[in-house]
Amino acid sequence: MTTSRNGASPAPDSPVTTGISNKGLRVGSIGMIGAVVIGISTIAPAYTLTGALGPTVSAVGFQVPAIILVGFIPMLLVALGYRELNSRMPDAGTSFTWAARAFGPWVGWMAGWGLVAATVIVLSNLAGIAVDFLFLLIAQLSGNAEIAELTRVVPINIAVCLVFMFLATVVSYRDLQTTQRLQYGLVGFQILVLLVFAGAAVVETMNGNAVDPSPVQLSWFNPFEVPSFSAFAAGLSLSIFIFWGWDVILTMNEETKDPDRTPGRAATVTVFLIVALYLVIAVALLMFAGNGTGELGLGNPDIQENVFFHLSGPILGPLAFLVSLAVLTSSASSLQATFVGPARTLLAMAHYDALPKKFAKVSPRFFTPGYATIVSAVVASAFYAIMRVLSENVLTDTITALGAMICFYYGLTAFACVWYFRKQWFDSVRNVLLTLLAPLVGGGILAVLFVTTLIDSASPDYGSGSQIAGVGLVFVITVVIIVVGVVLMIAQRIASPAFFRGETLGREAPASARRRRTS
Amino acid sequence: MSSAIVVGYTATEAGADALALAARLGNALDAPVHAVIVLPAAENNVSIPADAGYDRLVADTARGWLRDGLARVGGSGIRGHVRPAHGVAAGLVAAAEEFDAGLIVVGTGGGGPRGRHRLGTTAEELVHAAPVPVALAPEGARDIAVDAGLPRITAAIGTRPGADVLLESSASLSARAQAPLRLLSLAGVDLPARVDAGLTRLTGQAHAEEVLETVRAALPPEIEAHAVVGAGSDIEDAVGRIEWMPGEVALVGSSRLAQPRRLFLGSTAGRILRALPVPMIVVPRTSEAS
Repeated sequence: MTTSRNGASPAPDSPVTTGISNKGLRVGSIGMIGAVVIGISTIAPAYTLTGALGPTVSAVGFQVPAIILVGFIPMLLVALGYRELNSRMPDAGTSFTWAARAFGPWVGWMAGWGLVAATVIVLSNLAGIAVDFLFLLIAQLSGNAEIAELTRVVPINIAVCLVFMFLATVVSYRDLQTTQRLQYGLVGFQILVLLVFAGAAVVETMNGNAVDPSPVQLSWFNPFEVPSFSAFAAGLSLSIFIFWGWDVILTMNEETKDPDRTPGRAATVTVFLIVALYLVIAVALLMFAGNGTGELGLGNPDIQENVFFHLSGPILGPLAFLVSLAVLTSSASSLQATFVGPARTLLAMAHYDALPKKFAKVSPRFFTPGYATIVSAVVASAFYAIMRVLSENVLTDTITALGAMICFYYGLTAFACVWYFRKQWFDSVRNVLLTLLAPLVGGGILAVLFVTTLIDSASPDYGSGSQIAGVGLVFVITVVIIVVGVVLMIAQRIASPAFFRGETLGREAPASARRRRTS
Repeated sequence: MSSAIVVGYTATEAGADALALAARLGNALDAPVHAVIVLPAAENNVSIPADAGYDRLVADTARGWLRDGLARVGGSGIRGHVRPAHGVAAGLVAAAEEFDAGLIVVGTGGGGPRGRHRLGTTAEELVHAAPVPVALAPEGARDIAVDAGLPRITAAIGTRPGADVLLESSASLSARAQAPLRLLSLAGVDLPARVDAGLTRLTGQAHAEEVLETVRAALPPEIEAHAVVGAGSDIEDAVGRIEWMPGEVALVGSSRLAQPRRLFLGSTAGRILRALPVPMIVVPRTSEAS
């Protein structure tokens, strides 16, 4: 009998061995371009911009470019801490596990809940945007403009959205894979179309065909021109959303060809590409459409929820279908990456007994978090349907609520990093920067944003102006999500207390390497 | 067939069928069995960022499945392994090389009717490319006791080249498992409708009996062998009319279309499989020695 090359089994009496790390299949497989493509496809710039540009303009007016530049800073600071945690304890539960390790089970549970809620919201928004563009694409290709208006018919809209959700669930559940070539092609197409779109907007403005020609001003890039701190905070929490997903590149370590260099370089390249792309498009569209509240002005709430939907026709004319296609493929190719977020976190939570065991079920055929995937899809669909009925401007409100939820769990993750490494802060200059200063400042900014957004959104005029009993809908969504989280947490504590007693996932803080060396 | 057996395991009924058949073959042939769960390699899916934490959790889960599965068949000679690969078939072929295995076992039940084969992607790939024999466990194979042994080996002998290796394999299997050998010919079945069916069938059957006699005469005397000629309106019908013992296995040879030392399930073998109520082992045309 041949003995396994991969060494001993985990326990002496166990007949089960593993070859996960030393088969050469995983290590060194993702190169720099591959990592950049995964990053861009996860961020999905075409989808992100069409969803977030309008709400951001509504918050900060012409200073969108400034907010895009500033918005990257907290994202970067938190991502640095995220990377430290991920390399120290890679775990499918990410924020949940790390916050539980640092602050104990209750905070950990809420961090996991925040992550799940944020990704479930983005799933519903993603599907909502896709529905709009599907109808628009059909209208553009058939030349029948009325078809695009079908998306405003609530029952049709919800039904098509549910079909999208179903397809996305099947893809995620069965782990259906696109080829690398197709993925590269889709990302290239997306970037190309966005550049053509921006270029056409500038050319049209030059030719005097703009809706509201607004010459570029330096003040657009100056964050201090934003009228109020509330507006600044609202804009910032939205621009955190547009960089969300970028951090995954930093966490791909052992999978890359050169773990020391590839992730860092790929992340840098990606962020430069993305920021440049965002700036070009934001500036071009502001030049073309201005900040007015006219029919096609970016200040018009009716077009803010889905900017490209309304502007691609006037700018690109017969080629507008390219934008629809880019947003659709962008949404589709980021859907799977988005789906794994909540599903894997739910699975990890159940694995540590923080949720019912059913959520821990891994599909024996596809090796995906089967049950958690289906639950995420059902909740996202229900959330979308309810919001579609409740809100006048569902996409705007979900994006704003999403910004708040990202601040919530990302902030907790940043603080978890600071607290987890508390005994190692002063081991090296690197540690001072990456485990103390960066995540502390980043987490601080996100905490301020979260609280500011929460307070401001209580006003019925906030966001799209949707309200329930005189309270802003965004505030209601955020509070309801957190309260539901607390209730479920207590229910789980009663049903299965092991996790909450710290039996499955205990607090810890790695000891200082310096003290170990001297002792 | 060389010593070890690799079985592609999943925590499903098809996986249990495969593991039970592998354990039974391991017992009967006194061969070590390696149960392998092939996980998708992280970089397979270019749309999902790699996540070492999740991959580790899945690998841990898979090891748990293996422990449970092995405990159920209770085979002491079975070891479990978790291997990442680009595809399940590729992973099993790599495992067969790693463990120097002469047989890969996979399940083909997939929730179909009892005793039926349904080729999934993995089995399909294996029977069309594997470098070693592949055993297909039909739905319900898990219900046959692991120590039941092999009551009989049936070799589906054709009249085309390739039968030599098939016969060798069948004879050696029969000797090692101490099981009687049955030679089956379907040469007279399924001729084109335009020829005079009755007459051709008769000559076909006469020819088949002749071939079988020659084959049997060439076998070592210690192997107990008898011959049967299939009859029916088509291959499926003929296979259905033959009596099959629970627990016996059928061997078929690769098609002439196969690459050297690779399997390729031909169309006749494929039709046999459709009606076959017992496990099928597909063997390459050319022997490893040649």
